[in-house]
Amino acid sequence: MMVGRRSRLNRFLTIELSMLAIIAFGLGPYLWMVLTSIKPEELLFRLPIDYWPEQVTLEHYVRLLSKANFLENMGQSLVVAVGTVCVGLSLSVTAAYSFSRFRFPGRRFLMLKFLVINMFPVVLLIIPLFVVMRKLGLLDTYFALIIAHSTFSIPFATWMMTSYINTIPVSLDEAAMTDGCTRLGAMWRVVLPLCLPGVVATGIYIFITSWNEYLYAAILAGQNVRTITVGIQTLIGEFEIEWGLLTAGGTLGALPATILFIVIQRHLIEGMVAGAVKR
Amino acid sequence: MRRLIASVFAGALLFAGFGANAEEEVRFWFHFDNPDNPISQLVSKFEQENPGIKIKAENIPWNTYYEKLNTSIIGGNPPDVAMVKLFALPQLLEMGALHPLDDHIASWDGKADIQDELWELNRASDGKNYYMPLQYVVLYLYYRKDLFDQHGVKVPTNREEFLEAAKKLTLDTNNDGRIDVYGFGMRGAKGGHDHWATFVLPNGADINKEGGLLTPEAIAANQWFIDLHRVHKVFPPSAPNDGFKEITGGFKAGRTAMTIHHIGSSAGMVEALGDKVSAAPVPQGTQGAWTAFGDESTAVFSASKVKDAAFKWVAFLSSGDNNVEFNKASGQLPVTKSGSAEWTLHEKRFVDATVASLPFARTLPAKPQTSEFVGSSWPTNMQRALLGEISAEEMLRNIDNLYFK
Amino acid sequence: MGMTPRRYRRRLPVLPYVLLSPVVLVTLVIIFYPMLQAIWMSVHDYIIWKPQDIRFNAFAHFVTAFSDEVFWISLWHTAIWISLTVSLQLALGFAAAILLNQDFPWRALARGLIIIPWALPSVVIGLMWSWVYDPNYGVLNDFMLRFGLLTQSMPWLANPDTALYAIILTLTWQGFPFFAVMILAGLQAIPSSYYEAAELDGASRRQQFWHITLPSLKGVLVTAVLLRIIWVANSIDVIYVMTSGGPGYATHTLPLYAFLRTYTAMDFGYGSALAVLFTLMLLGVVVLYLRRAGRDVT
Repeated sequence: MMVGRRSRLNRFLTIELSMLAIIAFGLGPYLWMVLTSIKPEELLFRLPIDYWPEQVTLEHYVRLLSKANFLENMGQSLVVAVGTVCVGLSLSVTAAYSFSRFRFPGRRFLMLKFLVINMFPVVLLIIPLFVVMRKLGLLDTYFALIIAHSTFSIPFATWMMTSYINTIPVSLDEAAMTDGCTRLGAMWRVVLPLCLPGVVATGIYIFITSWNEYLYAAILAGQNVRTITVGIQTLIGEFEIEWGLLTAGGTLGALPATILFIVIQRHLIEGMVAGAVKR
Repeated sequence: MRRLIASVFAGALLFAGFGANAEEEVRFWFHFDNPDNPISQLVSKFEQENPGIKIKAENIPWNTYYEKLNTSIIGGNPPDVAMVKLFALPQLLEMGALHPLDDHIASWDGKADIQDELWELNRASDGKNYYMPLQYVVLYLYYRKDLFDQHGVKVPTNREEFLEAAKKLTLDTNNDGRIDVYGFGMRGAKGGHDHWATFVLPNGADINKEGGLLTPEAIAANQWFIDLHRVHKVFPPSAPNDGFKEITGGFKAGRTAMTIHHIGSSAGMVEALGDKVSAAPVPQGTQGAWTAFGDESTAVFSASKVKDAAFKWVAFLSSGDNNVEFNKASGQLPVTKSGSAEWTLHEKRFVDATVASLPFARTLPAKPQTSEFVGSSWPTNMQRALLGEISAEEMLRNIDNLYFK
Repeated sequence: MGMTPRRYRRRLPVLPYVLLSPVVLVTLVIIFYPMLQAIWMSVHDYIIWKPQDIRFNAFAHFVTAFSDEVFWISLWHTAIWISLTVSLQLALGFAAAILLNQDFPWRALARGLIIIPWALPSVVIGLMWSWVYDPNYGVLNDFMLRFGLLTQSMPWLANPDTALYAIILTLTWQGFPFFAVMILAGLQAIPSSYYEAAELDGASRRQQFWHITLPSLKGVLVTAVLLRIIWVANSIDVIYVMTSGGPGYATHTLPLYAFLRTYTAMDFGYGSALAVLFTLMLLGVVVLYLRRAGRDVT
């Protein structure tokens, strides 16, 4: 009994308290945004600052959802982000498997080449890319954004996946292949389940990268396909920032990735169980 | 029932039109501070009046409006019509992106209703008109009437009175040793060149002429402006990084007693401050006054394949009631004589200040470099001067170099 | 055992190329072709509104850059920007990952909440944080004045001595969840049998951390840091929203300077040259880094 209580107190002081501190730092500005989004517009700039809104209103959310097509934008962002995760993850997992398991001429060069992709400032690539997309007839389509976003997340995703796959012993692939699996079968049945946490983390990375991307979404698309970042940007005008709508949009915009992560985070533990079994 | 038949019929026509290519589509790019998408009503009204023309209106975020427009022009896929500002005209012209509207305008019956000064202001350096006026604002001085009355300060009409008012209204209201109200909310970030120009240009500084900014009078005027911050400290300390959201926010929060902006923000100011806010033309310099003319026009692009239809839409937006509707949504002022005559959207004191400022409303030089002046040269040099990193003269020399090197 | 791997190895070279070809093809079209164009622009006088005046100028832009004061200022800021931001993100993200890997009742919720800063669009982050920092009606000054940490409001973003660090704090906030998630995933891949064996040998928690956790995480850490360096180096949207590089040049980084030259002055030639220089330097840093830290990663 005593021991249990003391260790619980101990856990609270060491782990939960530090966790709370980090979460307070992480959530502070977000909470400030949530509070702003439920204040009436005319009270936003009142001094002294009202930390706790005297009056609570949902008008910004109602306006955002009814007039500003926000749900539609979110849906389109979701299509782009999910599409990017599918394309990006499948391409980067196979690429990472090659990098991790094979030694072949040009391997180091290719890996470095992948990194260079993310080193060049994107703003200078946009005009040539616009021309490419126009020639392919892809301007303002889902496909254009999915391809562009995938290309930009693949290098990082491949590198991350390579380092996760590297932690899985090669002997496991070989064992699977002596049992009659093909190379790809070994990857699919043995290696991937073991580095599921890595796949999940990389998937989250790709999802968020695509979800938050603005420049391509604005310039290569924007009308037929209008992502949430473009939608939110239209609330920032030349002479007026719609703070109410903007904060409401930001509050809602952060939710899909967060919910997604809460739902799939337990797969981060499944990896541990598998890891225990693996030898 | 009739409507149903009509819409089925219209649908069938649309379908047929698709194959026969009888229907013309006009792509229109605009940016709008009002997210409620009021333009859709104007679009449907136009489409009803002009069967066979469809308007595809695209709301482009202001932050990257010109990046997107320039990319689309260079990339070979510009819209047919776009909302544009005068500062971009010289560059668009150099790029050969615009279609001259003079022939269309000559035969347009709404021509006479547009305010005459606007045709002049919009004329390009080659004497042609590429821009159709759409809306405008003029910058004026916002001030806190209650604070002015309370401290016995009168509304400044020249630089000396301005300095005196600003000093008197830089206040520690609760005697805690901290300044709570600053005399003037100065915009030191991008877009603040209008504040600077008001206090510097009409004092013997000519930005249109090589060396015109390097006269002793010009340097003294710039020094005077910098001293407002460095010596008299009548700007909030954050002034070097303040943009429009900080100057309007600071004014609304009661942190500043004066600032310079236009009628587009009056509704928000009144919402926050009620009768405590009023407006007047900006203070004069030694050689008259200078205030910024804030413009917005529409232009037809030379790459458009439907120029006639495009002009119909351009003309539609700038005529009579349509222009009034447009400006009700944008919060700016109509460009037609008929529309201005019965304008009721803004409170009278702000309209009066605007109208009184029109005679000395100016624009920046119609040169391609103006875009860089606005976007990076002015803010960087002004900020460095306000922080004491460069002198008033160095700042002016850098601007002179930008335009005339 | 000895036979099988060798046989596979001899047959292999085809398969990795097959697996990699889609990725390589896509990146060639989407990135490398545009990049070649940008390199072409960097050796030309190329001002967008002067289409008649496009001329080959060899390396004139690069020479200009080396005598351009702003280039050096921006380079210095880029170095501070990358090293501080990445190390702060790493420290905070590492701590968060270790904590999130412990067992406590609201762990699932904590894991979800931790990624919120990362899940927000940069423009929202930039605007919210400039509001937080605002000296007139911002929360930070209000807090610090209330608790007596300041006697006068501090214009964090308008003061050239604090502006860069204020933005670094914002970017730390935005990016630490990336490290937390990546490291958390890396922690799972460490077989629990290692810890069980260590426990049997009587190793303390601390020893387990230094001798098992850290070495096992090395590959993931080295890669995550590498990727973050590249990402942070290129991230300009938050800076652009918060200060546009100001006051003066106080928050100019090289990619931001390249962007400003390109899009406000429409000088694509010089802007591209800055971008090429920046990429080459970053590549140098990355190659050095991989030489030193990344032997077991590549």
